[in-house]
Amino acid sequence: MNSSTNTASRGRGLLRKWQAPSGPVLKRLTASGVPYVRFGVWCSVAALIIVPLTAVVALAISGNRWDTLWTAEIFNAGVNSLVSAGLSAVFAVVIGTVLALLLDRTNLPGRGILRIFLLSPLLVPPFVGAIAWLGLFGPGGQINHFWSQVFGSPLWNMYGGAGVVFLLTVHSYPLAYLIVGAALRRVPGDLEQAAQISGANPWRAVTKITMPLVRPAQISAFTLIAVQNLADFGIPAIIGTPGGYQTLATMIYRYIQSGTVSEPLQVVSTIGALLLLLAIIGVLLEYRASGRSMGLDGPAAPQQTLNLSTWKHVVGFMSWIVGLAITVLPLLALAVQSFLSAPGQPLRWENLTLNSMTRALTANTTIVGAYNSIFLAASAALICGVIGGLVSVLLTRTLSRTNVPLRIVVMLPQAVPGLILAVGWLLIGPSLGLFNTIWLILCAYVMGFIALVVQTVNAPLRSIPVALEEAARISGAGGLRTLITISWRMAMPAIFTGMMLVLLTSVRELTISVLLLAPGSQTLGVAIFNLQQAGDYNAASALSLIVVVLGLFGLSLTIKTKTRS
Amino acid sequence: MKHKSKIVVGIVAGALTLTACGGGAEPSGDGPGGSITLYTSEPQEKIDEIISAFNEHYPDIGVEVFRAGTGDLTARVETEITAEGSPQADVFLAADVPTFEGYVERDLFLQYTPEDVEALLPEVVDEDGYYVGTRVIPTVIAYNTNSIDAPPASWDELTDPQYLDQLVMPNPDVSGAAAFNAAVWLDHEDLGVEWLTDLAENNPVIADSNGPVAQSVASGAQPVGIVVDYLVRDFAEAGSPIAVSYPAEGVPYVSQPVGIFANTEEEELSQLFVDFLVSAEGQELAVGQAYLPVRDDVGTPEGAPAMEEIELLNPDLEHIASIREDSVATFNELFN
Repeated sequence: MNSSTNTASRGRGLLRKWQAPSGPVLKRLTASGVPYVRFGVWCSVAALIIVPLTAVVALAISGNRWDTLWTAEIFNAGVNSLVSAGLSAVFAVVIGTVLALLLDRTNLPGRGILRIFLLSPLLVPPFVGAIAWLGLFGPGGQINHFWSQVFGSPLWNMYGGAGVVFLLTVHSYPLAYLIVGAALRRVPGDLEQAAQISGANPWRAVTKITMPLVRPAQISAFTLIAVQNLADFGIPAIIGTPGGYQTLATMIYRYIQSGTVSEPLQVVSTIGALLLLLAIIGVLLEYRASGRSMGLDGPAAPQQTLNLSTWKHVVGFMSWIVGLAITVLPLLALAVQSFLSAPGQPLRWENLTLNSMTRALTANTTIVGAYNSIFLAASAALICGVIGGLVSVLLTRTLSRTNVPLRIVVMLPQAVPGLILAVGWLLIGPSLGLFNTIWLILCAYVMGFIALVVQTVNAPLRSIPVALEEAARISGAGGLRTLITISWRMAMPAIFTGMMLVLLTSVRELTISVLLLAPGSQTLGVAIFNLQQAGDYNAASALSLIVVVLGLFGLSLTIKTKTRS
Repeated sequence: MKHKSKIVVGIVAGALTLTACGGGAEPSGDGPGGSITLYTSEPQEKIDEIISAFNEHYPDIGVEVFRAGTGDLTARVETEITAEGSPQADVFLAADVPTFEGYVERDLFLQYTPEDVEALLPEVVDEDGYYVGTRVIPTVIAYNTNSIDAPPASWDELTDPQYLDQLVMPNPDVSGAAAFNAAVWLDHEDLGVEWLTDLAENNPVIADSNGPVAQSVASGAQPVGIVVDYLVRDFAEAGSPIAVSYPAEGVPYVSQPVGIFANTEEEELSQLFVDFLVSAEGQELAVGQAYLPVRDDVGTPEGAPAMEEIELLNPDLEHIASIREDSVATFNELFN
């Protein structure tokens, strides 16, 4: 369960990526052919990553619209972006840490199942989560509706800044939990034992000994989540905009889609360059933080389970209530909206229909969207698999001065908000003849997701000794042949996993697809988003519900096969 | 890591089933064939219906739809002109005459007069023959019947302090009808900037487009909204507690004109599509979709008053076109 999502491994990947390669001695594979492979890889990486990012920065510099950054509109949006991303990251890390302690270190009743519930927001695309929560706390949401009838006014209208921070937190605390939890498990039990022998009680041992040791992981989680939330588009667009709360992501979208500013591309590139700068600062900060992390020996003694004693049932009850409230309740709201025949009707049996569901499933846009998403996801997975696989093989199995820059370039798009990647392709699209085509979306997906494959493949490949390649060379195989028949083949299982991650990420992508939208290239995410924007909440909910149910269906399959094996 | 792939397989399998269920009608027959691209602000579901009705006559003409708000569509057209030299669509079907007048001035449209133009309301036909209206879409006051007993009967009443925080209306940056309305209101002798300022005092929620406005009124989030009339009928028919009030001063209306871009490579197919939109059959379909039609031989939608009972504001459209941009700016200044 711990690694059941792409975001999770993305998290751990970012932690890993700046550390120097470790593991076996690297063997030089320079003979015939390998330089050609390296050249080819560099060419594709340059075309897919360096060119679009350069286009953004170049237009930002030549467009000379830095003055617009100080207009009240953009300045406010910038502040909103920073505050919402920062606050949600802090909350996520705090919640994630508490959960890590509660679920992994205590004797909380039912923690195994509770863990699955609490991790489930990871499986729900953020914009779908936003639609679901609106069904509860939107101005016409079920809870607000009920509250108005009983107390005369709604409980909480979630449109606006508070709602954005809340939802960003809900969708990022599971990642914080995974990162902090993993670090927590690596802390050896003997340190706490030593503290206890010296007279500390178990709780004091945890707070004074273990917690400082997971601080680097907390900082990593914070940076990662902050960068990710800075780039999120779906939540602020669906929850923030109707309450007048704009972030840079929604501003960029509005400028490009509605042309509400002169020279939108110049202005957007300027914002993009600024975000790029912020992302790089974030990554550097994280690099410094993780550089300070201490190497710990493997656990010599098992960790002690903390006894909640008399509080056990109270804490357990509370955790279950909160856990179910933030995972099951929004899904119920989604279901209610999907089956209610019209907005504003009371929730009664005779008002429930399958109309929205049928409409959502049979609409032409859904079918085109599903087809496009599957096509794009499959193609992106394939291309990322090939390029990412080759990059990983080069990085881990060969020695070259260009390896470090290669790693940095390939990893860069992951720290950059998806909107900026999209803007880059928007800029170079016309000169490539790809303007207004689905291929532009594919290019942006590949650019954004190669790193997923590289991360997934690097770690296992590093831990395999190069003896096999040496054996091949001794037996007379050339460099290229060794690379293909030995290294590439060994990497295949990991490459396949990486491709699956790319598939899963792209099939529900919204941010990139919504900006590069063209006639006939609508994706599933965009289909849902457009239904929501056009005010057809029932159909949007129905389609969202289907996406979520398919995701959970996949998860239940996983659990089944896991328990059987 | 292995189980991750299982999730993916599950999702893909489900999605594939989803695609398979949809299927597509294989084109066949001897009629005209080819493909046209349509930019429109029609709601997705409605335009899908129109196209499938069109395809019953012309199964070999594929119509690629791009749907967005009028503001978003015009921005897209501008981008396309900058990037590629011309709009990338064949047919443009969107909110209001001023947008079309602007395009006519820039020679972006072909002249075309649809087949039975005599049957259409003369007000919606461009006298120079560049475009023709396809529906009459008045903007009205909508109210939630659960929360409001005495609905406001005029635009003027909306400025009453009792409607503080009770109103919702669309954003003129996104909705073409909203931009048009802003200009008509500001141009109206009894309303003008004074009325709009008073309206802003009531702090209305500015939703992106008309759909969310109707949604908010129907769900009771804001009990009174300024919105296009057909959406109110749509929601009422589905069972929402929502009804229309036609304001006494008269209602601004847009005609959702259709025009053919000059750079089209499929002039004939585009003309067939335009013909279909205003034909008796196309207009019956429009009435079935709760629109007021542009011809008087097809009746009006259920629950709508007869055409002659609605007081339509008919300002000078060229003048409205000239003040449209400034009006939107004024609106944004007052409401943001």
